[in-house]
Amino acid sequence: MNTPSATAGHAATPAWKEWLYTTDHKRIGVLYLIGSMAAFGVAGLMAIIIRLEQMDVGMQYISSGTQYNGFLYFHGAAMILAFLIPGLTGFAANYFLPLMIAARDVAVPRINAFSVWLFYFAIVLALLSFVIPDAPDIMWTGYPPYSITTAANTSFYVFTVHLLGFSSILGAVNFLVTVIYMRAPGIGWNQLNIFTWTTIAAFVLQLIFIPVLAAAVTLLLFDKYLGTHFYDPAAGGDVLLYQNLFWFYSHPAVYVIFLPAVGILFEILTTMCKNQVFNYKAAVYAGIWGIVGIAGIVWIHHLYVTGMPDWLRLGHMVTTLLISVPVGILTLSMWGTLYKSAITYNTAMMYAVACLYLILIGGLTGIPLALPSLTIHLSETAFVMAHFHFIMALFAAFALFGGIYYWFPKMTGRYADGGLATTSFWLNFIGVNVTFIPLFIIGVEGMPRRYWDYQMFPQFDGMHEIATYGSFIVAAGMLLQFANFIYAAVAGKKAPLNPWNSQSLEWTHTQSPPGPGNFIDDVVVDENWSPYNYNKD
Amino acid sequence: MNTDAHASAHAHHWEWSWAPMAVVAGVFFLVPIAFSGFFVYENTLMTAVGAGVGVILILAGVAKWVDEGLTQVPLISGVANIGLPIFILSEIFIFLSLFASYWLMRLGVDSWPPAGTPEISKTIPLIMTVILVSSSLTMHHAEAKLDHGDRSAFNKWLIITIVLGTVFLGFTAYEYNHLISVGFIPSTNIYSTAFYSITGFHASHVFVGLGAFIAVLLPSLGGRTNKTFVTCVSVYWHFVDVVWFFVASQVYFW
Repeated sequence: MNTPSATAGHAATPAWKEWLYTTDHKRIGVLYLIGSMAAFGVAGLMAIIIRLEQMDVGMQYISSGTQYNGFLYFHGAAMILAFLIPGLTGFAANYFLPLMIAARDVAVPRINAFSVWLFYFAIVLALLSFVIPDAPDIMWTGYPPYSITTAANTSFYVFTVHLLGFSSILGAVNFLVTVIYMRAPGIGWNQLNIFTWTTIAAFVLQLIFIPVLAAAVTLLLFDKYLGTHFYDPAAGGDVLLYQNLFWFYSHPAVYVIFLPAVGILFEILTTMCKNQVFNYKAAVYAGIWGIVGIAGIVWIHHLYVTGMPDWLRLGHMVTTLLISVPVGILTLSMWGTLYKSAITYNTAMMYAVACLYLILIGGLTGIPLALPSLTIHLSETAFVMAHFHFIMALFAAFALFGGIYYWFPKMTGRYADGGLATTSFWLNFIGVNVTFIPLFIIGVEGMPRRYWDYQMFPQFDGMHEIATYGSFIVAAGMLLQFANFIYAAVAGKKAPLNPWNSQSLEWTHTQSPPGPGNFIDDVVVDENWSPYNYNKD
Repeated sequence: MNTDAHASAHAHHWEWSWAPMAVVAGVFFLVPIAFSGFFVYENTLMTAVGAGVGVILILAGVAKWVDEGLTQVPLISGVANIGLPIFILSEIFIFLSLFASYWLMRLGVDSWPPAGTPEISKTIPLIMTVILVSSSLTMHHAEAKLDHGDRSAFNKWLIITIVLGTVFLGFTAYEYNHLISVGFIPSTNIYSTAFYSITGFHASHVFVGLGAFIAVLLPSLGGRTNKTFVTCVSVYWHFVDVVWFFVASQVYFW
């Protein structure tokens, strides 16, 4: 798109315009990064407030249960929809996927800009929904009948989901076309980076399942404001319909987050271990696409306790357990990549290794939750909460932060490693364990989730206190981390173009940061090229 | 690939456009703000300002976007018409969710239609089907004319398509008006719930299609056309046409 002003050779366009109105995938990636990290900061603050409130029995910092609900709503919705998904499929995919396949941009750059602004306006709406007097108080799940009968403004919740959903669907269209049609000559399917595979798998899930969520919340809107009866059993509707539609998207959403996180880990592990992916084809076709294949038939396990025929429960128990097979294959591939390798420990690698531990705890605690007989007791306890925080919040966020350290020299030309980075890593890692392991324990013992007070369970006071101290450690770690990123971007140690000696195209063929059009010359690779051409024997 | 080779012939520069942001801002004002102004806060000023600002921003953004699409050489070209079918896949799932909700309600009750449902004409949907199918044919014909370089014929057939689409929406409005006057409103019963949701959602697609046609027609009258855009709009219109068969058969004739 030769903008007339530029081709006519006029004075350069002001930099703020080139950034704000950009259609370049790298700059859009940076916009996603800024937005998602801001969301992470605000939602993290909510988490601290939630933990503070739980530190002792009784009301301490909040003024009402409704306010606490508001914090829970914002924390959950923002962390999933505005931090993890935009961070992984917005920032990481936008910046690095086109570089990895040596494309000059994504298929439809303006639609890409459209996506990022949908994301930003969704954040504005979510923030607005926090300052209006009738703030949504319906969690990030928005279950009817409460979401319909509440006096709060459910419509802001619905439209936030719409904006983000539309953004993701258009992103899916863009990236699928980009990977299918715009790979550099010579890059075959079995030569793609694992991150490329996981990203398109995540976008396939977004493309198919988000419309269902969009429909679910749209019907909520109709029921609340137009008086329709979709979720109204008294008139012949079905209140469980919402839960089914909602989880039909929201369980696969876990994989939308999980898969790109795994992809980033593979990039870090192969580069820092100088090793090929252990069993590339099994990881891609059985692991990644196995997850995509099963993702749509496990959602019922979120509804085990809402009442349903036994055969349906058993069927979904089997499929839920079955999905641990592809997850296991991916985990084995990650571990196998370490085998007999020459490991460089830097900050990115430390995050990657931490993830190998987090996926183990998060994954294994999921297995009892797949079993209806156990879930009946564990559902709605802190155990569930600790489980999904381990796999989604910790595993995925650690992978994303590892990815930021890994790609930092590409984005800024400087290293983000150093004493601050290492200190903040250890604070984060220790902090998350101190926070969530006590929650596993009191969850098994019966601590319900989402309670702002637990006067009936004073015995959990001690563990709650430990968990709250853990959250302080994470907060300190994160503050240091962001201070480090800002410092490193301005004054960090200068890095060469390919500081980790990676074989992947984003490192071997581009400047740091890459300029407009990404590549100076067109990239062509031969049939023996692979992004993981290490240690060939 | 070819497109890349072509692009590498120029020096690259940072590309930008304010059109996408303007359209999103317009959507933001038109949908969440105006909607909650009307339904939640019942505030006329908020509704009017939201809708006014929203419509202006959307129109300005779309106009700019279309203009750039007609005047600039894209860095990447020839892939938008592959993206559209992928987007349509997503649309199929949203329609499927609506139909699934409808089937669930319908199969869960003993007698159909539920109490409170007036006689719903089967003639109107038949006429609407004929109109919409004709409009798909006229659009196809228009595209063929454009391929042969016959712009005035293209414009003529495109206008005919737009007229047919508008008449289709006119029938919807007429039918809604009639049903509401006899007391069949969205909250009447589960049939009205499904009826207005599904036909309304389809009608909104027809509306968007007509908007896209106008965005093709106006520059085309001045002699400018982007072939990729025409293909996309046409494929989208055929999709809306095909969905109508499911809407009509499920909602009116079952």
